[in-house]
Amino acid sequence: MTHVEDSEIIDLFFERSEQAVSELEKQYGKAVRQTAENILRDRLDAEECINDTYLKVWNSIPPQRPDYLGSYVCRIARNTAVSRLRAETAEKRNRGLDLILDELEECIPSGENVEDRIETRELTEAIDRFLSSLDYDDRFLFLRRYWYADSVKDIAAAMHLRENRLSVRLFRLREKLRKTLVKEGLLV
Amino acid sequence: MNRETLFDALAGIDDRFIAEALRYSPEAASGSSERIVHLKKKRIISFALAAALILALGVTAWAVFSTYSVRVPEPDEGFRINWEENASGYIEWTDAKLAVTFPETAESREIEFRPGWLPAELPSQLPGSFPWDGLDSGTWFSRLSFEGLADSFPNMTASNQPLLIETYYMSMFNDGGALLLLYYTPEDIIEDHWDEQNVDVMRFHATQHLEANAYAPERTLEQDILLMSDPDAGWVVCLRSGIGMDELVKVAKNLEIRETGKEFSYDDFEDHYTFMDGGVG
Repeated sequence: MTHVEDSEIIDLFFERSEQAVSELEKQYGKAVRQTAENILRDRLDAEECINDTYLKVWNSIPPQRPDYLGSYVCRIARNTAVSRLRAETAEKRNRGLDLILDELEECIPSGENVEDRIETRELTEAIDRFLSSLDYDDRFLFLRRYWYADSVKDIAAAMHLRENRLSVRLFRLREKLRKTLVKEGLLV
Repeated sequence: MNRETLFDALAGIDDRFIAEALRYSPEAASGSSERIVHLKKKRIISFALAAALILALGVTAWAVFSTYSVRVPEPDEGFRINWEENASGYIEWTDAKLAVTFPETAESREIEFRPGWLPAELPSQLPGSFPWDGLDSGTWFSRLSFEGLADSFPNMTASNQPLLIETYYMSMFNDGGALLLLYYTPEDIIEDHWDEQNVDVMRFHATQHLEANAYAPERTLEQDILLMSDPDAGWVVCLRSGIGMDELVKVAKNLEIRETGKEFSYDDFEDHYTFMDGGVG
């Protein structure tokens, strides 16, 4: 959707029009659902997460006026899903997200090699720089896997590539991220 | 920091990246939308890409245009490729129980080779093959290398070259580089060591499924594959053909292989990442 259409939806929120939520769902409902389901792996949990997401958007706009409405709502969905997941018991944690966390752990060789003082914010900025250095395809791949928590199979389908090839690229990207973090002094 | 810290840090990344990844946009991809159209073809010619890269780097690859038999065996529906990456820089093809490995510390050294024996050349026009008049003119290199074939026939793939000799180097496999033999279904793998050339050898009969394209229907090719490797020097020579294993062994045993002394580093290949992706799939 275009930026202008995003603005129109935001205007509806500012007008406190109930149409705002339905328009938001029309434009980004699929992405929100996918994000929630990818992380929670449970349709009912995801449904509640989606409802919470729209409620949070309703409560936060206004006063917020996000530049990227899609990112804004998906970020809320992701954070809501992750919070929900963490609130549950370890037994209920899904293997899908654990797999993603395991993959990300490859970027962190061992706990004792890391300076504890590193703030998450600093790390986020480093990841932003890392993402900026990637070409579109690699950035899309990294984001879909580690931000949207998509399965490799789904990403492969979206990009019309083989899963094996994507796995190789993800391996390279994790390695590249690790090197970036080392280079920036975030890992020693 | 732990993995969850990293996951949390990801949560805060710039909105623009998140918005950009909402939907896949082939137009935004580096190769443009054309890349998608040609993707299947690109996969099919993966070995050709690897060979072309090697040629571009000044490594000689010889290919002999001879015959091959195409028949469609029962599809091996149960076969799936599951492979593992290893941090030390090699990729293991576990289902095939075939791993092309190199010691982590070895440096790739450029090699060149010269066939001492080749099967008799076959008629230039074979049933079902591309029209071909290149065997009667030009140098051996121009008429036998994949590069030469590709110049004459842009749609030519390595699969149309029944005898193809390629070289691979350890440097190409660092950080998960090209995966050898990704599309082949091997039968029993015979391992050997040839004292004369001081190489480790793996050879097997294999099938390769090719999807339909504008030039040929869906089909399964059968080939014999022979890998000669020198783990210490960090190179592999791959021969594959439809001329029969006995003939292939004879070609391999008569290959004169020598190192040029030039050392390859990973950087020699790094700029060709995208190109090498074709070799991965």
